[in-house]
Amino acid sequence: MFELDRSQYPQKKADGTLDIDLTSGKYLKLWQGPQHPGITGNMAIELTVCGDEVVDATTHVGYLHRGFEKLMERRTFMQCFPIVCRICVPEPDFNEYCYAAAVEELAGLEIPELAHWIRTLILEMGRVNSYLMYLGGQAGAFGQGVIGQWTTYVRDLMLDRFEELTGARIYHMFIIPGGVRDNLPDGFAGRMEETLREIESVLADVDRVMFHNAVFKKRAVGVGVIDTAWLDSYGITGPNARAAGVAKDVRKDQPYLVYPELEFEAVTGKDSDIYTRADVRRRDLLLSLDLIRQILSRLPKTGAVMTKLPNVLHWKIPRGETYVRGECSRGEYGYYLVTDGSGYPRRVNVRGPSYTHSIALFERMVINANISDVAALLVSLHTYPPEIER
Amino acid sequence: MQQLYDTLTQRFSLGEFTRQRADLAFITVEAVRLHALLRHLRDQEGFTHLVLLTAVDWLEDGQFQLTYLINNRAKCQDLGLRVMIARDNASMESIHDLWAAAATYQRELREMFGIDFPGSPRLMDDFILEGWNAAPPYRRDFDTLEYSRATYRERPGRETRDPAAHMKQQLYGDKGDV
Amino acid sequence: MSISDVLSPFTAWKNLFRDPVTIKDPLNERPGAARYRGFHKNDMDKCIGCGTCETICQNGAIDMLPVEGIPAVQGDSGLRPRIDYGRCCWCALCVDVCMTGSLTMSNEYKWVESDPDLFRFTPGVDKKYWDNAELGYQRHDEKHLMPVAREEMPELHPEARLDSFVEIVQGYNIEQAKLEADRCVSCGLCIATCPAHMAIPDYIKAVRDGDYERGVQLLYETNPFSQVCGRVCTHCCEDSCAARHEGDPIAIRWLKRHIIDQVPQEKVIELIGKPAAPTGKKVAIIGAGPAGLTAAFDLARLGHAVTVYEAQAAGGGMTRYGIPEYRLPYNALDRDIAVITAMGVEIKYNQRVGTDITMQQLEADYDAVVLAIGLHQGRSTRIPGSDHPQVRKAVDLLRQITAGETIDVPKSMVVIGGGNVAMDIARSMARLQLQHYGEIRVTLTALEDKAHFLADPVEIKESLEEQINILDSRGPQACVIDDNGKLLGLKTWKVLSIFDAERRFAPKYDPADEQIHEGEMIVEAIGQMADVSLLGDALTEKLEWNRGRIQIDPNGRTSENWLWSAGDCVKGPDVINAVADGHRVATSIHRALTPQEATA
Repeated sequence: MFELDRSQYPQKKADGTLDIDLTSGKYLKLWQGPQHPGITGNMAIELTVCGDEVVDATTHVGYLHRGFEKLMERRTFMQCFPIVCRICVPEPDFNEYCYAAAVEELAGLEIPELAHWIRTLILEMGRVNSYLMYLGGQAGAFGQGVIGQWTTYVRDLMLDRFEELTGARIYHMFIIPGGVRDNLPDGFAGRMEETLREIESVLADVDRVMFHNAVFKKRAVGVGVIDTAWLDSYGITGPNARAAGVAKDVRKDQPYLVYPELEFEAVTGKDSDIYTRADVRRRDLLLSLDLIRQILSRLPKTGAVMTKLPNVLHWKIPRGETYVRGECSRGEYGYYLVTDGSGYPRRVNVRGPSYTHSIALFERMVINANISDVAALLVSLHTYPPEIER
Repeated sequence: MQQLYDTLTQRFSLGEFTRQRADLAFITVEAVRLHALLRHLRDQEGFTHLVLLTAVDWLEDGQFQLTYLINNRAKCQDLGLRVMIARDNASMESIHDLWAAAATYQRELREMFGIDFPGSPRLMDDFILEGWNAAPPYRRDFDTLEYSRATYRERPGRETRDPAAHMKQQLYGDKGDV
Repeated sequence: MSISDVLSPFTAWKNLFRDPVTIKDPLNERPGAARYRGFHKNDMDKCIGCGTCETICQNGAIDMLPVEGIPAVQGDSGLRPRIDYGRCCWCALCVDVCMTGSLTMSNEYKWVESDPDLFRFTPGVDKKYWDNAELGYQRHDEKHLMPVAREEMPELHPEARLDSFVEIVQGYNIEQAKLEADRCVSCGLCIATCPAHMAIPDYIKAVRDGDYERGVQLLYETNPFSQVCGRVCTHCCEDSCAARHEGDPIAIRWLKRHIIDQVPQEKVIELIGKPAAPTGKKVAIIGAGPAGLTAAFDLARLGHAVTVYEAQAAGGGMTRYGIPEYRLPYNALDRDIAVITAMGVEIKYNQRVGTDITMQQLEADYDAVVLAIGLHQGRSTRIPGSDHPQVRKAVDLLRQITAGETIDVPKSMVVIGGGNVAMDIARSMARLQLQHYGEIRVTLTALEDKAHFLADPVEIKESLEEQINILDSRGPQACVIDDNGKLLGLKTWKVLSIFDAERRFAPKYDPADEQIHEGEMIVEAIGQMADVSLLGDALTEKLEWNRGRIQIDPNGRTSENWLWSAGDCVKGPDVINAVADGHRVATSIHRALTPQEATA
């Protein structure tokens, strides 16, 4: 039987390191990932377990490192545009937005009003997709495969909307430095409304089958609690922070694009466990559907979508540095861009929220968890490895 | 932000101040003063959120710029602290005691730029580049193109012509005395 | 947790009775969206092979390769983009940047092959089933990735310029030049078209970089007449400019002028550097025009001793004595010539070969002689009355104006001709009329209709601004002279056609449509020819001729092995062609004068 106060366990040596003797036969090293159904993307967790209790964990990343930040240093400012989206597969648009906004800021470009609206629309559409994927993953971590099938179906409808708006389904390459590539196609709002209704109908099912589900509650309630005291220490943002009762939402805290003109409140929860985080994301998803409706009913019908650019083949930007952030489905996404007056970025640093969530935070949270909860815990932090290693 | 800078200069010796936006400024700080300044900003000025920690390689100046970006959510302010350190045997005081998450950033900087942060947990553990033996790849003098040419095979069948050179050859190339 | 949490999940069973949402036959039932970025298409008629798509492709997916049946021609490299779909990321920047709009994308995304090399093909050349697809990614109506409009050149307004010969074109300032240079995509299609093959993209880059000294060095590599060509070049390069297809061509000529305007003359001489060590060889050049002086510059730089014989009191040839000062100020020309003489070229002015020194003498005294005498003799219409003293040749009048001779300015005049020389004399005389009488009465009659005028469009536009009365499709029939021998004007008929079925010059007129244009003077500006009387009978007899011109080989050498000929007198009128010709004969002479073992 476990001792009651698990916080005293595993024991530590005098120098603060864990007192784990792997040769004692009491412990087992267990690799979860990189090929494991409960792992979000290409990463691995090296677990040290005692019985079915995790006593130590190390996150291993680097399976998807493509060196984007370095690649961008030898591409012109416009040539960087097609590659940034690849830093985050399920929600690529924040890369496009943050990169474009940072370049525009340092180059002193003003982009047209309509482009702001369309950018906001795209970011919210991307958020919907990301959350739908998450819901499927979170349910899947508890063995509820059917939720993933439903959310993938409606996500596919949203991909259709992306396809007709941007010309691509996954990597949209639409938010270009200077604006967006085109206006909405004819009849877009009507087809979007149909899609939104279908998503709402599926979400109602998800609510009944996943959130009002004795098994799910049994497994998710009270598990994986994030202490509010950890928020700053571990750089926790987004739904992970909001589920802990802190209304951290860049859309409200430092409003960008057209968010100041939209009516909404940051979605929060209070129990800070797996269930609450899933619920916050579900409600945030519903908020995104509402925001999409607000945007489509209010965006200007005509107008320029792009500002005049200099010849992009030899576009030089004066020396400077800036940081641009946005609230993606996982938290604070940001680009730190340094220019040196040449035609190439001096340095680009991408801040993905998963960077702290899936390493420093996760390695701490998973201690004393059961092996069977590890996958659900990791999924509940909603992490995407490519934004960690870039 | 100017106001914050004025307050800070009364207690700390600060370098250049750059106002980038109404809600974003950068201040250059000497390496030895950084830790105390960060602690002050975190505990007294409300900059409780470490947004990121990264480096910029100013190869031609022989320096690394370390950028500590911190955020004050209540006041909607971001502050970037720039610390210039020598590029040779680059080393910097660790801040993992201020923000636990900083250890990860420092691990990455050690691996990608070769900057040492004595005392930072698991600093020498491989982070992204397991089994990497070449120079730290995010340094400016690491040539990615050359590395990829040396490491990977070019798919055969690729060739290209420069339009101007091709036209010269086709239309008016020097044919000598004819 | 409640009992409903146990029952609620069972609502999922309702899906048992739903139809599947999957597409049954996706290969046929699922076309890409109208904007889908699918496989590329390329319109072979529009593509000019500029390679801008290759330049912007950050994946290195595009190669420019020659294609059978598409030769390189002026303004089209003949290369076409081949795309490697193993690398393409479908970003469509190549479509956005395409200079002609030829490269587009279909909405087609389904294509299965077992051979991966087939996914590397040349759209438009290798036929694909989507070549005629109507849907697919469309670039936004406005071309966004570069400015398409030319920086406006500051010019004097007609009121400000009409009463003097002050230069009209003011030149770009540094900011304007940078903006204009920024538009260039550095494809280099222009280089082949420029007769001197100037390094145009490189010197435009020098403007972008603000590196004018490098710019001057680049200019002098191929052209010692940058002041002149920066102002009056026929700029055929701009007709080959990739930017002209969806906007204005780059103002290549004005950028050249901008570079040379930024660097002081002494610095220019310093930048070019000293000539090579003397070779002991001597070359004589007849005519200090662009062809002669270019050859002189090249030969002097190679270390040969060059002497130029010029019949007039100043150098420049037709660029000085033919082109009015408002287009090419004399001091600009003087700067070009001063750089050439700084290389050690000796110019003997007021030395008319044939009169002051004979060809035989030159043959005896020099290792090589270049004949670069230009076209200084005006052609006559030979219509009745054209031998009247008040019927003048445009070239003679222009020469007199430059030389500062007093001209009896007529109160009214008629110009015959529709080329640039006709415009030059009409506009020059208009200025003199305004100075003398306060009003302009110049009529210009041309055989061609407005759409086929030989003069540059800008010349016609400016002539009209300067109150020249331009009449098109008028054929001169006679100079009308009264009983006292006073010239009254020009009689013209309406032109019905200029050429016959074989494209030979055979104008047809409508005598019923007759007009008399009033003029105290008539100026013929219908073409020029070379005055070859200087050769002397014996040499004229010895030389081989071709339709009235001295026969030369491709290197500019005549049938006499000591004599070369270059420039307008053998190639027709054009400054930049004359410069190119000067280089050509200089190279040929240098080869001839250099011992074989040295060149081997």
